[in-house]
Amino acid sequence: MGEERRNVLESIVETFNMTSNLPENLDLKDPEMKALLDSLTESRRNNFIAMVKDPDVRKMSNVSNAATGKYLDLIYHARDYGKKVAYIPFNASPEIFHAMDIVPAGVEVLDTFAAIMQEDFNEYLDLSVERGLPDTMCSAQRGVLGLLEAGLLDKPDILVNGALGGCDANSKIFEYMAEKFDIPIVYLDVPFYHDERSIDYYTNGYRQLVKALEELSGNTLDEDRLRDVCELSNQATELFMEIDEMKRHVPNPVPNYYNLNHLSQKLTLVGTSDAVEFYKTALDICKRRLKEGAHVFPEERIRFMMMYTGFYFDQSVYFWFQEEMGVTYLLDLLVAHDFCPIIDTTNVDTMLAGLAQGMLNLPMTRQLKGTWDMPANWLYDLLHYVETYKADCLVFSGHTACKQAWGIYRLVAEEIKNQLGVPSLRLEGDGWDSRITPISVIKEQLSEFFETLY
Amino acid sequence: MQTFEKLAQVSRTLQNSYIKAWKDQGKKVVGYVCTYMPEEILHAADILPFRITGRGVSDTSKADSCLSRVNCSFVRCCLELGMDGEYDFLDGAAWVNGCDHIRRGYDNWKAKAPLPFMYILPVPHKIFPEGRQWYKEEVIKLKEAVENHFGVKIRSDKLAESAAIYNESRRLLKRLYDLRASDETPVTGAEAHVILSAGVTMPKTEFNKLLGDFLKEVEKRPKTSNTKIRLLVAGSMMDDPEFIQNVEELGAIVVTDALCFGARGFWDLTDEKGDIFENLIDRYFNHMPCPRMAGEYSKRLGFIKDQIKRANVKGAILQHIRSCDLHGTDNALIRPDLEKAGVPTIELERQYGPMADAGRIRTRVQAFLERIGG
Repeated sequence: MGEERRNVLESIVETFNMTSNLPENLDLKDPEMKALLDSLTESRRNNFIAMVKDPDVRKMSNVSNAATGKYLDLIYHARDYGKKVAYIPFNASPEIFHAMDIVPAGVEVLDTFAAIMQEDFNEYLDLSVERGLPDTMCSAQRGVLGLLEAGLLDKPDILVNGALGGCDANSKIFEYMAEKFDIPIVYLDVPFYHDERSIDYYTNGYRQLVKALEELSGNTLDEDRLRDVCELSNQATELFMEIDEMKRHVPNPVPNYYNLNHLSQKLTLVGTSDAVEFYKTALDICKRRLKEGAHVFPEERIRFMMMYTGFYFDQSVYFWFQEEMGVTYLLDLLVAHDFCPIIDTTNVDTMLAGLAQGMLNLPMTRQLKGTWDMPANWLYDLLHYVETYKADCLVFSGHTACKQAWGIYRLVAEEIKNQLGVPSLRLEGDGWDSRITPISVIKEQLSEFFETLY
Repeated sequence: MQTFEKLAQVSRTLQNSYIKAWKDQGKKVVGYVCTYMPEEILHAADILPFRITGRGVSDTSKADSCLSRVNCSFVRCCLELGMDGEYDFLDGAAWVNGCDHIRRGYDNWKAKAPLPFMYILPVPHKIFPEGRQWYKEEVIKLKEAVENHFGVKIRSDKLAESAAIYNESRRLLKRLYDLRASDETPVTGAEAHVILSAGVTMPKTEFNKLLGDFLKEVEKRPKTSNTKIRLLVAGSMMDDPEFIQNVEELGAIVVTDALCFGARGFWDLTDEKGDIFENLIDRYFNHMPCPRMAGEYSKRLGFIKDQIKRANVKGAILQHIRSCDLHGTDNALIRPDLEKAGVPTIELERQYGPMADAGRIRTRVQAFLERIGG
């Protein structure tokens, strides 16, 4: 374990731990707090304020941050505990790894934390390119690759690639890491369609994944342990579905920042009691807010949806929308899980089938495979989400590496406008690389768009 | 007219004279885009498979309004031709989900300029028994779709005939590549590319005849100087001989490749004994894999190294079209592996299209050749 590595991971864990016990009476105008805020860079200050200013957001973030800090600490110390670490993409269900006592490290989630907390994050995006990777590859993984290249992250024991057929950039970077760093990798092929035959094909692939994980980790899949994990996962699903129900309310009582907490919990911690605790806390807060009629300030003027990915390098958008713009951030597609199934816990087969089905319905896998106009695809889902959550507008972030989404943005946007009359805006930004379009410019562009909607 | 000139005319013209003659007989032409499309299915239905190209496009403004600058320029060029009506002579197009770009090319073509028959064949991204089974079921669906749309019956005996004709074509191409691999090759890389281009846009039987004639004629040609630097080209889709010519004008000769448009696409034969449909499935599913096939890197690298050895290659050009994540990433792995094996290698990112980036490419290749020569 090198000195520099400790600096990177430990500082992220430390930040989460520090922000997991924020006092209810936190005063941002307090001179000491003000001095602390002034010492941060603008982007980090924005992220901190977004998380702490609203007492409800602060309360749910406390729980989320405590769980996330624990999770990252587990990745950091996995070897000390005799555990294997598997790097997984965001479209791989973490439950099976929890059940098999393998630590699932979501690459995009790690990348996001690093983007928010590492001052020099962009240098690692660049390092991955300097070491050979094309710059058109996705920044959602390139930061982690750069950290690996720099030796600031340990090599994982296992890689799992679940994006075959959904995103070339995502699947190739996992293959690249496997070849370059000589890491065992398991590939899960995503079927083209979303019918019964496809679900069977995918479930079979999932069984093979379990077998491969057993061989690579030396751990076995215990039925009772799997059932415990699936039951916890089901509890989390029921809770976030209830929160999603509340998002349908006009005005929406769910704080914008919930989406970010949900993102990290759903993609890494579902299947654990920590995730259940977070969702319970969030649900309680949202219920109270609904009762009190709480909503964005000064009033809900626009119900907003990202068509696919959002902007994650600077999270002030959530705060800005909520506190200043009167904009409800309903969802981006990475936090949209209306089609997540409840797992049948009867036996191992039903549980694996349920987990596979859940994974086939995860963001990107579900919407970006196949052709644009197939059932259960991007257009289908956007029509569902716009109608269900009563969105007033859509924004495509224009994330540079999402070639498959860029390739049909116009078709999809036109169809939604034709069918539902809901307008779209296409930006040219990047979810993790602040240099493509700075957040200040993104805010200007969004403001101009909103002016046309009021 | 010399045989090569006949092939060159085919290569230069989108709707070439052979297609006109074919259509005059009331027969159909169907476009395709990828080497995972089993052409014999179409051929056995007396349909001419035509490999869709983006050559001849000088502007992609229509396609750019649907796709974007982050999408592959090859796909944008093809779509532009489709939206311009240049492919109206096609009676249909059978696509493959080869990569994200081509998949979206299909979506837009189907939405904005549909041909009477539009089909996409979903191919798994992993070579394993369940994947082969999936592929087989999908090819059966394709076969039925062709039969239903065109009112034909694709019989096994016709499939066997087609497989034999296609194998013959592959054997002739291998002879061409043997000549290229010889010490004083009588064929330039640009000429070979012209031949490859003609071979996928005209009836196979007539192509085989022309290629056979060409091989006889070429034996009488003077040999190329063996002072030229012998190169291999690999990477993204490349059907433009002008790129190769641009490289060869600098004092090199391209003696082999690992392109889907070239050796990687035709190297493997179909077993003609036994159940011909099953054999076609095996051949197409297991042929030398494209980087879209996960976990097959070592096989692809091995193929490149084999080509380097058999053609006595002195340097490798790994090119990829900008935004081609599949080849761009593979190239980033291949380059250090080839360098480690003692083969000087250059990576080039380019845009698709005849002479696109020509000046920049020449400068970089020139420096590369100096490195090898010096």
